[in-house]
Amino acid sequence: MTEILSLQRLDTDMAIAELKSCGGAARGFLGLDPVTQNDSLLAAELKSLQAQLFSAGETVVGFAPNTDQPRQAYVASTSADPEPLRALLEFLTTYQRCTTFVAMVPDGVENCFADCGFEQVGVLPRHRWQNYDWQDVLVYVGRADSCRS
Amino acid sequence: MRLRGYRGSDADLLAGPWLPGELLGLPLADWPPLAAPTTVPPPADPGQELCIAPGLGFVRYTELDWVHRRARVEIGLHGVDGLDVLLKTVVAHGFLTLNLSRIHGWVTPLVDPPIGLLADVGFQREAVLPEATWLDGRPIDREIWGVVRND
Repeated sequence: MTEILSLQRLDTDMAIAELKSCGGAARGFLGLDPVTQNDSLLAAELKSLQAQLFSAGETVVGFAPNTDQPRQAYVASTSADPEPLRALLEFLTTYQRCTTFVAMVPDGVENCFADCGFEQVGVLPRHRWQNYDWQDVLVYVGRADSCRS
Repeated sequence: MRLRGYRGSDADLLAGPWLPGELLGLPLADWPPLAAPTTVPPPADPGQELCIAPGLGFVRYTELDWVHRRARVEIGLHGVDGLDVLLKTVVAHGFLTLNLSRIHGWVTPLVDPPIGLLADVGFQREAVLPEATWLDGRPIDREIWGVVRND
């Protein structure tokens, strides 16, 4: 059995600081953009999403519950390393009893969702504006029984 | 058809027997008698635009993002008359009045919404999310439908 990476929970101020330190890798993280949004806006967005963020080394992972379906969570990671995401999914499955996960990732950004058993289920065209151009967003879905290590 | 701003006297139009957050929120025939109606709050912050279709219901542009120029739309109607005209108005208001570039919303196929009317005004199915909402005691699939302005 694969050893699960340990995650450290971040409070709002720490979460914002960590996201900003990730730079471009955090753009689109749960729909946030620490490059164009200031601290107070990021804090308001995190509160609105009911998001919880964690750090694993230099990677930040996080989730926001789907308020219409308590067994589903939106997840995000700032790294293409699958281990921090696997640890988050293990936590969500065990302690939040989530059965499905949704990830929305800007197109062209290297990500770890396929490595963690996620399946691409759609594309949101021109969902983001970044670097003077429109950017599509890829939608991934994972299930607890196929995403855990 | 014209959309107008919300007034306090429109409060009755903000609640009804439809799924929460639905792009095409139409009255469900078998709404459980003990379930409270779905309600949207009156506008309280600049992150949303709540419009009223007089006599019909509301149109709510929520999750408004002025950087990415997009919004998620929720509609709650107390009848289906004039839905095709209303949808044209919703898209025109979003693109021309709010100057958005993209409008999207949630569609739940299980409640059999008239998706042909969505397609007629340019919406396309963009993603299918399994188990994304809860109805009749079980999780059901939801779809994201969106339309992009072509300049």
